[in-house]
Amino acid sequence: MDHSNDKRGSGLIVDRRELMAGAAALGLGFSASSARAADAPKKGGTLRLGMEGGSASDSLDPRTYADSIPISYGWQLWNGLVEIGPDNNPVGELAESWEAKPGAKEWVFNIRKGVPFTSGKILDADDVIYSLNMHRGETKSGAKDLMAGISDIKKLGSHQILITLSSGDAGLPSIFADYHILIVPNNFTDWSKPDGTGAFELVTFEPGVRVVTKRKKGDYWKKDRGHFDGVELRYIPDAAARVQALISGQIDAANRLDAKTVSLVMKAPTVNVVRTKGTGNRFAWVALCDTDPYQSNDMRLALKYGIDRQKIIDNVYKGFATLGNDTTVAPSQKYFAKDVPQRPYDPDKAAFHFKKAGMADAKIELQVSEGAFSGATDCAVLYQEAMKKAGITLDVKRVSGDGYWSNVWLKAPFCAVYWGGRPSADNQLAQTFLSNANWNDTHWRRPEFDKRLLEARAELDDAKRGQLYAECQKMISEDGGMVCFAIGDYLDGYSKKVMGAAPHPHYDMCDQRVAEKGWFA
Amino acid sequence: MLRLIATRFALGLLTLLAVSVLIFICTQILPGDVASAVLGQQATPESLKVFRAELGLDKPAYLRYLQWLLGVLHGDFGKSLTNGRVIIDELAPRFINTLFLASYAAVIAVPLAVGLGILSAIREGRLTDRLANILTLIAISVPEFFVAYILIIVFAIKLAWFPSLATVDSDMGLGMRTYVAFLPALTLTLVVMAHMLRMTRNSVLSIMSTPYIEMAFLKGLTRSRVVAWHALPNALGPIVSVVALNLAYLVVGVVVVENVFVYPGVGQYMVDAVAKRDVPVIQACGLVFAAVFVTLNTVADILAMLANPRLRRRR
Repeated sequence: MDHSNDKRGSGLIVDRRELMAGAAALGLGFSASSARAADAPKKGGTLRLGMEGGSASDSLDPRTYADSIPISYGWQLWNGLVEIGPDNNPVGELAESWEAKPGAKEWVFNIRKGVPFTSGKILDADDVIYSLNMHRGETKSGAKDLMAGISDIKKLGSHQILITLSSGDAGLPSIFADYHILIVPNNFTDWSKPDGTGAFELVTFEPGVRVVTKRKKGDYWKKDRGHFDGVELRYIPDAAARVQALISGQIDAANRLDAKTVSLVMKAPTVNVVRTKGTGNRFAWVALCDTDPYQSNDMRLALKYGIDRQKIIDNVYKGFATLGNDTTVAPSQKYFAKDVPQRPYDPDKAAFHFKKAGMADAKIELQVSEGAFSGATDCAVLYQEAMKKAGITLDVKRVSGDGYWSNVWLKAPFCAVYWGGRPSADNQLAQTFLSNANWNDTHWRRPEFDKRLLEARAELDDAKRGQLYAECQKMISEDGGMVCFAIGDYLDGYSKKVMGAAPHPHYDMCDQRVAEKGWFA
Repeated sequence: MLRLIATRFALGLLTLLAVSVLIFICTQILPGDVASAVLGQQATPESLKVFRAELGLDKPAYLRYLQWLLGVLHGDFGKSLTNGRVIIDELAPRFINTLFLASYAAVIAVPLAVGLGILSAIREGRLTDRLANILTLIAISVPEFFVAYILIIVFAIKLAWFPSLATVDSDMGLGMRTYVAFLPALTLTLVVMAHMLRMTRNSVLSIMSTPYIEMAFLKGLTRSRVVAWHALPNALGPIVSVVALNLAYLVVGVVVVENVFVYPGVGQYMVDAVAKRDVPVIQACGLVFAAVFVTLNTVADILAMLANPRLRRRR
């Protein structure tokens, strides 16, 4: 397999060669020696990961996962039903295959046979049903909303289940790729002794310090994965400390490199930087569409035309971000609306719409916080400057990051927010833009949109489905209250001896599965 | 003397009780609770309700406090609200790590600072004095993370003598620990030296201007003998208390250094707990920290009294 053929469909997934071309254009030094990921995988070695995105309060219970470190050890110990493949389509993991009945309301999932848990138990339908039900009904699970459409799960055979939805959803398999939905044995409750089907078993769990796992005895049920003898995941929340540790060889891989210093990291002779373009966090301002002055769509359009997206990306993210087009769907995602034109920075249009809204003395106050996302304040200040050129006064109010999500977000009329990538465009849209969504942070409620989205869901014809999703995105872009100005790139750093670490359209660190996907040269 | 120690001990316990009440009240005033902090942006009203009921957060605050207090009196610090792990099992190894790093830094810093302080006093105004003062002042004037990064650049990256990650774990022997934790210990040494050095120097010098010292000089004694035998014992009181204060700082105030060197101490544990509103963990850390402060201050007072009999009299 030649790696250069890896440039996929949209061309937005950046593999190492593309990255190096980009780096050369930026005038950065780069060595081409280790670009080959096609060599046959070797067994052995301990992968030392240094990561940000966790704390001393992390738990092994997947219902509470919300950040990178738990997601990473989750995929080491367990598997999901489905994973997202490199082409953005769902691929079977513990589900061997599935089939939707016409209307996509009823789904039959065939469970893989002969897959052992650490305890020796063999996976069957009861385990899967129990695991899925952990996220339904009365639960604290972060996946509760994703699973809300499921009305019933029934066992058809020892390795077959029937899932009934309240309304059709052709994208159901993608939902099961969510990192909360890990498959545990039936009636499993003791999270301190994890029992999973993953490649590794737990050795030490010290949340906030390190998580150590080792490869299970015998062959992993995935023939082409699970090459390391063990994984030592260390919590290194300080970005500078992570980079030093990587450069000096104390760790083999680090996540979330700082865009401001990544050009220096690339110069280190022992390190590869893997950039996954436009799949990271969606950075946005959200205005409440039912609160003045944002009730007027002209005002909202003024907000959208008045932001200089490229300038923010160049200055705050040092070019490591993609333009946002006012929805949370990223260009790297399937069903991204390519035909909706990218909104430009146009002070004249912003001034025009602002005047048309007829609220010249309206107070526009944007509440921002580093607790919303790092760099939010800088983005807001640049936004303020850009709006000034359109003759609009924007007040930027800095608020505390502590308690931001409970006190400011969903309450302030105009404030900063970030959205993570979800398994599919459907989840992405449903989560924030459906009228009854818990997280409808723009209070944008359009029955027309809801209808269109549900129609798209139930549509099994891919082309028609894409058309409907595109219409949905167009409606948001033209009428919604979200100013999504940038979508971050993921920047991972690897030692040159780590192989198989290709960028993935879903999450960073190979979809957080580098532990089972990678190997040492 | 014994009575005094007993009184101080009782007062210390009272302080701890007051601290625990204060911390509890503060955590109640903070916006949000553990459920909303853990679920963060993923929280929905229903999942919050389920989470809160699971943790017993629906009970009134004073009841939760009394329950906690009852547990602590029985030696049970309870379980973490966020991940259900037994707090004492999590806290104990971290506290040992913190104490190890603090003692490591103290073993270097205290003799060095006090020695240099006395030397500065003996050679007041001369080059040694000036140099010691200027260098330690520079070290204390820059933020500790800056000192840490400088040390990392020099010793971890350029010279590659020491690791920049100081993650110690329970399997490590003493030798390995000492090696791995050298850079954070050095950073802390540089941070606390100036205070102790200057205090030693100044308290010795202030004694030097008293008549009995002049008398000693008139007897024909050398300056170093006057400083070491006549001035120092009387200057010990303030020196001991400033050393105690700095030792306490080494235990409770090192979260920045822990963070830069990824050292698994109590500081980061407590910061994580505060961010997640994990009240029992915050309480346990707060109690431990307060206990360290109270103990060190009591010891300092007792030592000062031993060195200076005048302080033993009650007025």
